[in-house]
Amino acid sequence: MVDIIVLVKQMHDLEQIKPDPSTGEPMLEKSPFKMETISENAVEAAVQLKEKYGGKVTALLFGNSDAGQIMKKAYAMGCDDGYVITEYTGNNHFYTSQVLAEKIKTIKHDLILLGNQSADSVTGMLAGRLSAILGEPVLGNAVSIEIEGEDAKIKRVLEKNNYYVKTHLPAIISVTQEINEPRLPPVMRIMQAGRKPINSEKTTVQEIKNFTVVSNKAPISERKKLIFEDVDKGIEEVVKVIKEEMR
Amino acid sequence: MKFLTFSEDNQLLAQMITFLRSRGEVDAATSSDRDMPIEYGAGVVYALRGNAQYDSISAALKNLFESSGYDAVVIASTVLGREVAGHLSVGIGSDVAPELSSLEFKDGKAITKRWGYGGKTVIEETWNARVFTLLPGITDAEKNGSESTLKDIQLGDSRVEIISEEPKNLGGGNLESAKIIVSVGRGLGKKEGIEVAQKLADAVGGEIAGSRPVCLDYQWLSEDRQVGLSGKKVKPKVYIALGISGQIQHIAGMRGSKIVIAINKDKSAPIFEESDYGIVGDLYQVAPKLTEKLAA
Ligand SMILES: Cc1cc2nc3c(=O)[nH]c(=O)nc-3n(C[C@H](O)[C@H](O)[C@H](O)COP(=O)(O)OP(=O)(O)OC[C@H]3O[C@@H](n4cnc5c(N)ncnc54)[C@H](O)[C@@H]3O)c2cc1C
Repeated sequence: MVDIIVLVKQMHDLEQIKPDPSTGEPMLEKSPFKMETISENAVEAAVQLKEKYGGKVTALLFGNSDAGQIMKKAYAMGCDDGYVITEYTGNNHFYTSQVLAEKIKTIKHDLILLGNQSADSVTGMLAGRLSAILGEPVLGNAVSIEIEGEDAKIKRVLEKNNYYVKTHLPAIISVTQEINEPRLPPVMRIMQAGRKPINSEKTTVQEIKNFTVVSNKAPISERKKLIFEDVDKGIEEVVKVIKEEMR
Repeated sequence: MKFLTFSEDNQLLAQMITFLRSRGEVDAATSSDRDMPIEYGAGVVYALRGNAQYDSISAALKNLFESSGYDAVVIASTVLGREVAGHLSVGIGSDVAPELSSLEFKDGKAITKRWGYGGKTVIEETWNARVFTLLPGITDAEKNGSESTLKDIQLGDSRVEIISEEPKNLGGGNLESAKIIVSVGRGLGKKEGIEVAQKLADAVGGEIAGSRPVCLDYQWLSEDRQVGLSGKKVKPKVYIALGISGQIQHIAGMRGSKIVIAINKDKSAPIFEESDYGIVGDLYQVAPKLTEKLAA
């Protein structure tokens, strides 16, 4: 039996973010929130561990008013329980780690699962910060997870080598995108999940913000965008361009 | 400013010392003993010995930070580096400015640049932070005629135990300095397709690279050939994308290319928005023809 807390992030659908043509700033209002990409892998990993070893999966999401539908997706994928901490105002790993840690301390668990780096802000700060705040060890960048008695064991992927590493539970495990293919829940489960209540609460942690955004704009693309549907014509043109650059 | 900089990769550490030495005094710490970076301008290079995991490294850096009066700890953004940075930031009660492509200091504040929304935007910020992670390739490493003092530090215990190590098969090509890159995506469909791309790369004297699924998921290419947000940032004269859809995380790695050429069978693939020349077609028909004409 392993009781797991899985951390779920919400993010704007990156594919739908377009820059405002006049300012270059992202038009976020037009891009709905969805479950962050690697959070989906973390949920899948948590549910697979439950299916293998038994136990309970609790999803924890620091979000805003759109968080409900994301939590329902986590339910549909197999999470048993879930808490939404409301009043998320944007990416701030310093604050987010404090808010999550406050709630985690009240939930009995053997494992905390999360994505290694979120697809939108990509900071990769949460595992290390939570480890220090909670005093639990991290096994990071897992592509496989096993539980053996009181220990968790992972295959850890680093830039130059891979390692098998282990530690005592309770522990924090960050997963990579390659660990699994997140399931598409069947319609029945989605309907059941829709009826399941969502526990929503506010945090008591005061927000601290140590950064100020000066500007946030899409880089200007100056590509020519000459697209050929006539393959032979395209090849002719491209060969000319490459030969010119090879000189 | 007085900096302490850390990486487990001495090539990255040499880059960071080079970057920081024009901004203040630098000492460095490494957990690797290959190619110690002692000629790049660091006063002291600390060799961290023992079980070098994020927690034992963080504890050693915290000790140095508190006993030697550093203003900032600057860490190379790698898997281990990010874990160390997060952990250390709590230990010294600071924030971390992460994943930076630019870092300057003015009036006690850090002025930084990093990617936003997976690479869609560039965020310029000012930070009140003592810990920073810098993207690999922040600058080229350059020796400066000095020699650092080497000091050993014995690491304390870690709660992470290594059971075994598995070396990777790395390709070793140098994508960062390649003039022409032929990059392949999931559209290749099968490992054998690499040959088609390799022939094109050979014809133009280029290097072969790939998207994340090709390098990490399917391992059709070695992991060090991945281009993108979580891979290499490349800036060749010509970048030829075969069967790559052009997701923002991929674009973030090849935006610096002078000319981008894309071959994709889907006319509406986002890669065409980031291309100078595009051919709508099957890569298995287009690439061999290109190879033939370029080799001629
Ligand atoms: C935090 C994070 C970091 C990431 N970092 C990176 C990164 O560093 N690098 C990276 O690449 N990705 C990265 N990704 C993944 C990224 O989001 C995409 O999933 C990935 O880039 C898609 O790879 P692809 O274009 O090869 O595959 P797909 O998106 O599947 O595209 C395949 C393309 O091939 C075309 N095609 C199919 N068959 C043919 C044919 N016969 N001829 C021509 N065209 C064909 C299709 O039309 C399609 O456009 C990251 C994701 C996250 C969340």
